[in-house]
Amino acid sequence: MTALATSTPRRPSGQFGHRIRVVSGVVITLLFLFPVFWMVLTSFKQQVDIFTSPPKFFFTPTIATYVEYFRRADIERRLINTVIVAAGSGLLSIVVGTMAGYALARIRLRGGATFGVLILLSRGVPPIALAVPMFLVARQLGLTDKHITLILAYSTFLIPYVMWLMRSFFLSLPLELEESAMIDGCSRYGAFFKIILPISLPGLISTLIFSMILAWEELLFALVLTNRVASTIPVAIAGIAGDTINGANWGALTAVGTITVVPVVIFALLVQKWLIRGLADGATKG
Amino acid sequence: MGTVDIRNVRKSYGNVEVLHGVSLHIEDGEFVALVGPSGCGKSTLLRMIAGLEDVTAGDIVIGDRVVNHVAPKDRNIAMVFQNYALYPHMNVRDNMGFALRQRRTPKPEIENRVNSAARILGLEHLLDRKPRALSGGQRQRVAMGRAIVREPNVFLFDEPLSNLDAKLRVQMRSEIKELHQRLGTTTVYVTHDQIEAMTLADRVVVMNGGVIEQQGPPLELYDNPASRFVAAFIGSPPMNFIEGTVIDASALCLDDGTKLQLPMTDLASQTRVTIGVRPEHFELSSAGWPATVSIVEPTGSETQITARIGGQIVRVLIRGRTFVRPGEVIHLTVPADFVHIFDDDGAHGIQVGTRGAKKYA
Repeated sequence: MTALATSTPRRPSGQFGHRIRVVSGVVITLLFLFPVFWMVLTSFKQQVDIFTSPPKFFFTPTIATYVEYFRRADIERRLINTVIVAAGSGLLSIVVGTMAGYALARIRLRGGATFGVLILLSRGVPPIALAVPMFLVARQLGLTDKHITLILAYSTFLIPYVMWLMRSFFLSLPLELEESAMIDGCSRYGAFFKIILPISLPGLISTLIFSMILAWEELLFALVLTNRVASTIPVAIAGIAGDTINGANWGALTAVGTITVVPVVIFALLVQKWLIRGLADGATKG
Repeated sequence: MGTVDIRNVRKSYGNVEVLHGVSLHIEDGEFVALVGPSGCGKSTLLRMIAGLEDVTAGDIVIGDRVVNHVAPKDRNIAMVFQNYALYPHMNVRDNMGFALRQRRTPKPEIENRVNSAARILGLEHLLDRKPRALSGGQRQRVAMGRAIVREPNVFLFDEPLSNLDAKLRVQMRSEIKELHQRLGTTTVYVTHDQIEAMTLADRVVVMNGGVIEQQGPPLELYDNPASRFVAAFIGSPPMNFIEGTVIDASALCLDDGTKLQLPMTDLASQTRVTIGVRPEHFELSSAGWPATVSIVEPTGSETQITARIGGQIVRVLIRGRTFVRPGEVIHLTVPADFVHIFDDDGAHGIQVGTRGAKKYA
């Protein structure tokens, strides 16, 4: 975002304004990054260094907390679980949500618009209100503490999200593309898969990434619907923070927090090209 | 066979009827232009021929087959859209070959047909480019290439030149005409630009408010407009209209009392009429309708004069140069052949002069 704001063409009269924009961009970025920086910093501190006042920026770093909690908090299994659930729910939502979004954007159905709004409204329900009913349903079906349960649960809020993002993306594409494809010999499905999907790839991938990140950091449903086998990383953090017996272990909290963030950052860097293209495409394609 | 037969076709969206029973027969190899103001139903009719809109009532026949319920892909038509609708993720070659690949045409044949279309349109050096790397005129040409590769029964054009600048538009207009003369494929061409329609088409169909106002060869529409609407629509600068009341068989009284001599008519006295005269049909003379000049605009080859006859504004186009000045009173005559008379509601032309001896309507 910062990069976009500062890349406006330079004019002599705009030099000053340009500098202001760069400086405020940097300041805002630092402001956002500071808590993350502090988390990473704290995770390498020894217990005694964490609460010193004034806070310490220089100390002898240690990875002791990491070593201890990687085992104690069952991080390896949770990481694998989180990957499975995030990827599973992300992919399921992108497949279903994209097709639903296309239908909403292009197919004239009686009550189609109302239907779309209703699905969106379902996102307005506070997740906590759904958590208990979902748990009861899962238990009734014998599905507690299973990956598929979380995948399905996450899809309930990811599908509307994908659907609406992709709907507006499809609306920004000229209708004539599909009409042309249909005259050229495609059915509507053919036009969708051969023309619309390839063009939408940047938008599709950025939506998929955002969905997977949402699933990656989801806590509430994971807390309620899983126990041990399918438990995810955010649950581990919550466990440490809410430890009523020993009190919150801040070192452990930040260490596990860092472990949660690192894969997301690496992932985001890897797909950065797609992410930015997707955002820009959706905004400007006429 | 590339004939298109439109039989009493109607189109409604909900309770709103936008086409009120249109019938049109298009011969094999004919170039027909559908022209009219926006909202007249010309694009809707074209899209119905393409199969992109349902037919509410009536029949559309391509060749000898009723296609009302035939999918667009099975009508063997090709369409060029205003925004070209090139597939942005494919290069020019793949764009042009797409329809053939859909029909599982053997690769060597696709290659041949794409290459030959590219040669006709001068696109050979652009075959590996993506649409976004092309100029507007080049995109337009690729869109046409995509259509001709198909070797369809009918070409459909939906305002294909509207997105181009004026100069390119004239150039592409000639190319489309040349292409049609070369391929001889039946063509239906929608435009709101009467010049495009006149210059390109064998037959111009003027539509207004969901009905066909008049159809015929371009010059017949120019010479014998059946209604005031067609008269105003065809020709540039547009026809002048002067309203008044007939006082005897050969004189018209304008609202401010000015009297104008008319060619002999059989109109009854006291009939309200509108006189139509094209700007280029006025002649300057020493006697005739008196007009006060307000603006003189020379362009070198001709001079456009704006003047008032009895308070009503008329435009006069004189070949070559003239030395009249604003404020001067000039006298205008019109050969009887070139006077058009319309009845009060503008719906019908009334016979006059030799050309108008056949009663049109």
